[in-house]
Amino acid sequence: MIRPRMVIAFLAPALLLYLGLLVFPSVQAFYISLFKTSGFSDSMQWVGLGNYIALWNDKVFWLSLLNMVMILVVGGVCVFGLAFVFTMLLSSGLWGKKLFRALIFMPNVIAVTAITTFWSFVFMPRYGLLTSVLKSVGLDSLASVSWTAPENVFWSMLVGLVWISSGFFTILILAGADKVPTDMFEAARLEGASQLQIFRFITVPMIWDVIVITMVLWCIQAIKIMEFPYAFGGPNISQDVYTPAIYLYIMGFGQRDPVYALGYATAIGVAMFAVTIAAVLAMRACLKREPLEF
Amino acid sequence: MQQAFSSSRNTSLKRGVGRVLTYATVGAWSLFTVFFVVWIVIASLKKTRDLFSEPWSLPSNPVWGNYVKTWVSSHFGDYFLNSLWVVSISVFMLLVVCVPAAYVLARARFRGREALANFFILGMGVPIPLLFVPLVVIMTTLRMGDSLSGLSVVYVALSVPFTIYVLMGFFASLPGEIESAAIIDGCSDFQTFWHVMMPLAMPGIATVAILNFVGLWNEYQLSLVLINSPENRTLSLGIYSLISSMQYSGGDWPGLFAGITIVMVPTIIMFVAMSERMISGITMGGVK
Repeated sequence: MIRPRMVIAFLAPALLLYLGLLVFPSVQAFYISLFKTSGFSDSMQWVGLGNYIALWNDKVFWLSLLNMVMILVVGGVCVFGLAFVFTMLLSSGLWGKKLFRALIFMPNVIAVTAITTFWSFVFMPRYGLLTSVLKSVGLDSLASVSWTAPENVFWSMLVGLVWISSGFFTILILAGADKVPTDMFEAARLEGASQLQIFRFITVPMIWDVIVITMVLWCIQAIKIMEFPYAFGGPNISQDVYTPAIYLYIMGFGQRDPVYALGYATAIGVAMFAVTIAAVLAMRACLKREPLEF
Repeated sequence: MQQAFSSSRNTSLKRGVGRVLTYATVGAWSLFTVFFVVWIVIASLKKTRDLFSEPWSLPSNPVWGNYVKTWVSSHFGDYFLNSLWVVSISVFMLLVVCVPAAYVLARARFRGREALANFFILGMGVPIPLLFVPLVVIMTTLRMGDSLSGLSVVYVALSVPFTIYVLMGFFASLPGEIESAAIIDGCSDFQTFWHVMMPLAMPGIATVAILNFVGLWNEYQLSLVLINSPENRTLSLGIYSLISSMQYSGGDWPGLFAGITIVMVPTIIMFVAMSERMISGITMGGVK
């Protein structure tokens, strides 16, 4: 039996930290978003929903929102497409599965700044690795494309992002697929089913709940994404890779010339939170199916 | 008969081609990861001129001076120590706070236990950028703004939900008989925890510690918001400031890649040593 005294003593530190530095600031954010404030000591000016109205009319905010939706949808299709392919291939009983899985996942343990620097060098105009590869295979017209030009920079960024994320979601979905009893696969294989059929008609239905959870997780991650596009954008980040979280940071703490629109920045955060909740609820409602027992 | 034979040969041929394609796809993707790491390390040992003129070649004369320059002149030595200090102290405090809480949430019986556990887990859904401004305000009020200790307190608090979630899974999976036996043998509830249950959960605790170490080592957005002074920079901030300064001083890309090697080598070593454990810890946190 664990005595109540110990329950309280064991829970108190975690609860205090959690309440003080996660729950309280989340609630406080709603409050701050109703003010116009530029500093910590200066007076806060009540503007009510003014920040939200300004946000509604802010073109840059909508641009950042559009970028986020593109990451969520286009990035999501690529990430899950790749994760499904890798899960299918890795669960086909190939040699060295754990090694491949580890290597596919490995970018996720490396600092984001390291990864974005590498990709910046890949996409660098004129001297970049991609240009040098394209030149050597004779695709000179492609080699002269500027991958960091305004119309391309978002897609260049997305390539690197998909590269990391597909590894992350592969290990999650593969872990689900590993729990499916193997006799099912063997039976299907004996019947002559192809790997694709096995994946489509056995694995996917069996791990549907895992797929739903991972998609919800992707939503949560994509909506709040900041580090990768921000670091990829570099010191003179272009608005073409803005996400709401980056715009929040820029409005709050700025670049070289800080704006310190702290109330406005926090309103962006609240909007992100609302979008997250709406997206999660929508995903759950759309993807819900009777779970399979096995 | 003849037909059946040829069709089976056909499928086995198809299987063989499929096999080759499988290895080719998975292998190529995996090799790219290896290439990524190796290319960065090689790039960090080149002269700037050679990096741009021959990005694919091996350096004829490895320029170890790049590392000296980055470590000393670009202060990566200091940043490395900052990161090491912040991350170590944060992970230690995180375990001190979360192991007992997760134990109680997983194994004690009291009213509202499940609701409290869910309340903790809910924190994983809060987008961290929402907290940027409030956290800066709070840390400034507590006079912990722009300090490494302030940063580590925030790290601990924001890592609580994930850590408790995974640890609860480990504690819940321990057999109840051992707990009962300890109590029958006269252990107090604290002794049962300290001498019996916690040692049993050590593999899980180690997994959580490693995952948090890697996550916080690579953490970037919170340090960007909470740290201003150059002397308090962590490694990720150091990289970013190096990139910023390169716009003016011209591109010392090899020096930058040396810095990146310094950032990524510790986590890669941890991953190579413990990839199985880390992957199983993450999938437990993400899928269950």
